[in-house]
Amino acid sequence: MVSTGNDVLATSDRDRILQAMADCCAEFGYLETTVETVLERAGVEAESFESLFAGKEDCALAALNKIVSETLAQISMAQVNGEDAIGRRKFEGKAILELMAARPSFVRLGLVSARQCGTPHMHDAYESAARVLALMMERLAGSTERPGATARAAFGGAEAVIRRELAAGRGSRLPQLLPDFVYAVLVPFVGQGEALRQAKLAARVTAEEE
Amino acid sequence: MNAEQRDTLLRAMLEELVGKGYGEASVERASEAAGVSAAEFEAEFDDMDDCLFAAYDFLTERVVAKASADCDQAAPWPARVRAGLESLLQAVASYPEMARALTRAFPGIRPAAYERYVGLLSRFVPFMREGREYSGVDEELPGEVELLAVGAAEAIIFGEVDAGRAERLPQMMPEILFSILVPFMGPERAADEMRSAAMSI
Repeated sequence: MVSTGNDVLATSDRDRILQAMADCCAEFGYLETTVETVLERAGVEAESFESLFAGKEDCALAALNKIVSETLAQISMAQVNGEDAIGRRKFEGKAILELMAARPSFVRLGLVSARQCGTPHMHDAYESAARVLALMMERLAGSTERPGATARAAFGGAEAVIRRELAAGRGSRLPQLLPDFVYAVLVPFVGQGEALRQAKLAARVTAEEE
Repeated sequence: MNAEQRDTLLRAMLEELVGKGYGEASVERASEAAGVSAAEFEAEFDDMDDCLFAAYDFLTERVVAKASADCDQAAPWPARVRAGLESLLQAVASYPEMARALTRAFPGIRPAAYERYVGLLSRFVPFMREGREYSGVDEELPGEVELLAVGAAEAIIFGEVDAGRAERLPQMMPEILFSILVPFMGPERAADEMRSAAMSI
């Protein structure tokens, strides 16, 4: 289908609104963010908002979907260079952290507002995304027996560090923490020796990038 | 107001927050529950937010103190972590509404409140440092391993509190313990500690 001028304009308005929603939630919190503040920040008319979203929650959910879709796309496009399942994780992690560094407001919307500060629907969206990532990790366990919440907990550890960095305004530093995150998500499944080896390789990947 | 009234007021304010939500929480009802007059409230706090932040600080102090008080300082680090965790989970299971205030109702108010929650997790980091001495490898563990361990436990605890299943947490202590110990001790030794903890339940 060929895009018309109106389609392009609508897409542009939508992106501006989603960015403004993420920024306002990061600055004021979801509770104190209003549609009016979002519109003012986005520089978009109310009619445009109303044609795209049913309300504040719908808009926040769309912003969440945007960051989840982008994250999954980053994972699928990560340059894995023929690595095995364990080795691939550091490249996928690198791709995710680079996206997070570029989109700190959206990440905060997902890991802070949706998890602890938003509506039940937002929380469900957060939980669904977290479950997908945990399932990806559980595949590493193979036949090794681990407690049921192991993968979820390992991601929880990484999330705590990410939230602390975001709260301190250090989102751009996240890619440098790749070795720590690689270690955390791998160690329950592959042991300390292999997790540290992969963390060192991850440090090399990060250094090469710099 | 005396110390007992202040404690009651702070608790009542958190109960208001959890029960009614931030928009409907009432200073008047909380003050009435604590037997505090409007003038006494105003002499102590600037407004509802000032009181809520004080209530949160009061609660987090108690949580951290409770988790550390039940540890035998002479015991090995894994045993101290287990004792502290057991104590914390019992408290969360006994006071699920306060746990909800701690994890959800208060941090959700605004970013400044959320920073208090981030700060609460950071308070547990120093308790983890000794875990490095129990590492099964000679190499230095990653710099963030302490907060990674705290965050792992928090993810499980938060999930249960949020799902209204806080009462299950004491039974889940062994697997939460595993998640805390595994980055320091590796999966095999963390699993040994987990099995030992399970036998004690």
